[in-house]
Amino acid sequence: MNFPLYKQMMKIQMKSILNYAIGSAFYMILMVWIYPSIAVNTKSLNEFVKVMPESLLKAFGFENGFGSFESFISGEYYGVILTIILTIFCVILPTQLVAKLVDQGSMAYLLSTPITRGKVVFTQACVFFTGIFLIMLITTISGFVGYALFLNEEDSFHALKFIQLNIAALLLFFAVGGISFLVSCISNDEKKSLGISGAIAFGFFSLDMIGKISEKVEWLRHFTIYSLFSPSDIVSGDANLVLSFSLLGLIGILTIAIGILFFQKRDLPL
Amino acid sequence: MLEVHDVTKKFKNGKGIFNVSFSVKKGEVFGFLGPNGSGKSTTIRHIMGFMKPDNGYIKVNDLDTWKSQGKVQKYIGYLPGEIAFLEGMTGKGFLDFIARMQGLDDLSKQKQLIERLRLDVNTPIRKMSKGMKQKVGIVAALMHNPEVIILDEPTSGLDPLMQRLFIELMLEEKAKGKTILLSSHSMEEVEKTCDRAAIIKNGKIVTIKDIHELQSMQRKLFEVTFQNSADADAFTKSKLDIVFHQKNVVRVAIQGNFDEFLAETSKYPVRNIDVFTQNLEEIFINYYEGER
Repeated sequence: MNFPLYKQMMKIQMKSILNYAIGSAFYMILMVWIYPSIAVNTKSLNEFVKVMPESLLKAFGFENGFGSFESFISGEYYGVILTIILTIFCVILPTQLVAKLVDQGSMAYLLSTPITRGKVVFTQACVFFTGIFLIMLITTISGFVGYALFLNEEDSFHALKFIQLNIAALLLFFAVGGISFLVSCISNDEKKSLGISGAIAFGFFSLDMIGKISEKVEWLRHFTIYSLFSPSDIVSGDANLVLSFSLLGLIGILTIAIGILFFQKRDLPL
Repeated sequence: MLEVHDVTKKFKNGKGIFNVSFSVKKGEVFGFLGPNGSGKSTTIRHIMGFMKPDNGYIKVNDLDTWKSQGKVQKYIGYLPGEIAFLEGMTGKGFLDFIARMQGLDDLSKQKQLIERLRLDVNTPIRKMSKGMKQKVGIVAALMHNPEVIILDEPTSGLDPLMQRLFIELMLEEKAKGKTILLSSHSMEEVEKTCDRAAIIKNGKIVTIKDIHELQSMQRKLFEVTFQNSADADAFTKSKLDIVFHQKNVVRVAIQGNFDEFLAETSKYPVRNIDVFTQNLEEIFINYYEGER
C-alpha cells in the first residue's frame, strides 16, 4: 500500500463515506427510538404478522416478528433498506476508485510516479474497504448508543447477535464491492463500469428478493450472493455463519485480487 | 538513454503504430512531429509503460518500461497531452501530493519553477485556465529533476511569452545533460528546441533527420503583393513554384531556394510579403506525397 495515495484518496472520498455512515446511523437511532413504543404492542403486532402471507414476510425479513430488538432491526433495517443503500455505495465507490481515474486520465499521473500499478490499485481497494468498514462501524456503534439512550433493561437486546449481524453485512458488501472493483479494474469507461457493476449487484439483489417471495422460484437464491446474508436467520440463530462468512470473504478477496491482476496486465488508454 | 526498438501496436480498428524505432541520446532534445492522430501519443503511452507493445521494446536508462513499471518512473518526468488532475485540489496541494508519491523531499526545484512560471499555486485546479493547468503539469514533470523528460504537446495553451520561457527551461535542462523527447504538431515549436526530429504519419516513422536538414526541406508559402499586375504576370513566368495568382497577388511555395525567390522578387517593386503558417502535411508535402 502507498500511504500518500491512501491519504489523498480518503480525503477525496471521506465526505461521501461519512454521508452514508451518518445517514445509516440516524436511521438506526430513529428505529431504536421508536422500538419501545412498538415493543409494547408486540403481541398485537405479532398477531398481525401471523395473518400476513408468509412469502411477503420472508421477503422483508419479518418472519421473526418483533419480539426482540435484533429481530425488529433485522427486519426493519438490515433486510431491505440498508442492503439497498450499501449496494449503491458498493457500486459507486469502486467505480470511482479505478475506472473513473482511467476514464478521466488522472491515473496517468499516479502511474508516472515510481509506484507499481499493483500498489496503486491495491491502495484503492484498501480505500474501498475502509469505506465500508467505517460505515458498518458507525452503524453498529449507533445501535449501541441508541440502546443506551432509549431502551430499558427489560427490552431484550443480544449484543453478540447484533454484532454478528453487522459483520455479516460488512462481508456481504465486501463481496458485492469486490465484484464492482473487478469490473472497475477492467473498464476504460466510467459509465460502462458503473452500469455493468450496478446490473450485477442489483441483479443479485433482485434474484434474492424474488426467491424469497415465491417458493416456486426459491431455487433462484442459489445463484445470488445475497442469500448468504440472511438477517432473520442470524438473529434467530439458524444461520450457518462460518460458511456464509468465509464464502463472502473469499468472494471479496478473490474478485479484488483478480481485478488487480488484470489491471497490471492490461493496456491503459491514458 | 531512451531507446524505442521496433515497437508495433495494432488496435482493433487497424490503426496503431508500426515498427517505430528511434533513440535519444543523453543531452539531446528530440522532436516527435506528426499531425493529430498519427501515433505520437500512442508511442508516448508505450514509453510511459501504459501499454504493452505487441512487438519490440522501449528502454529508458536500460530498463524496459513495460516490465520495470514502478522502477523506471524514477528517471522520467512526464507531461501528458491532456492533463487530468485529481479532483478537489489546489495547484500546490496537487504538486505536493505528486512529490510525496515520487518520494521527493527536496522541494527547492518545485518552488523555483513555480516562481519562474509565475504560477498562482493556491488556486483550486478546477478554476484554472488551460494555460495555468499546463504550468502545473510542467512543474510536476520537472520538479523531481528527472534524467529523461517526456512532453506531449507541451506548449499548447501557453501564451507566446510563456512559450518562450518554456523553451528557455528546456534549453537549461538540456544544458544539464537531460534527455528530452517532445511531441508536437508544429514545426515551429520543434525547430526552436530540438536537435533532431522524427516525422510520424499513420503510425509509421517517415523520416528521422537533423533539425537543420528538416528546415531545408520545409516548404514555406509566401504571398507577394506587387505594385503592378503586369509585374505579377511576369513573375509567374519564372521557374518558381506558383501556387496561386490573382491580379497583383502571387502565392509561391519555396523549399530551400530562398536565393532564387529573392532574386526574382527584387526585379519588381513589391508592396507586401506575407509568410503563411501551414500545418505539418503542407510543410512536408513531398514526404507525405511520397508515402501515398
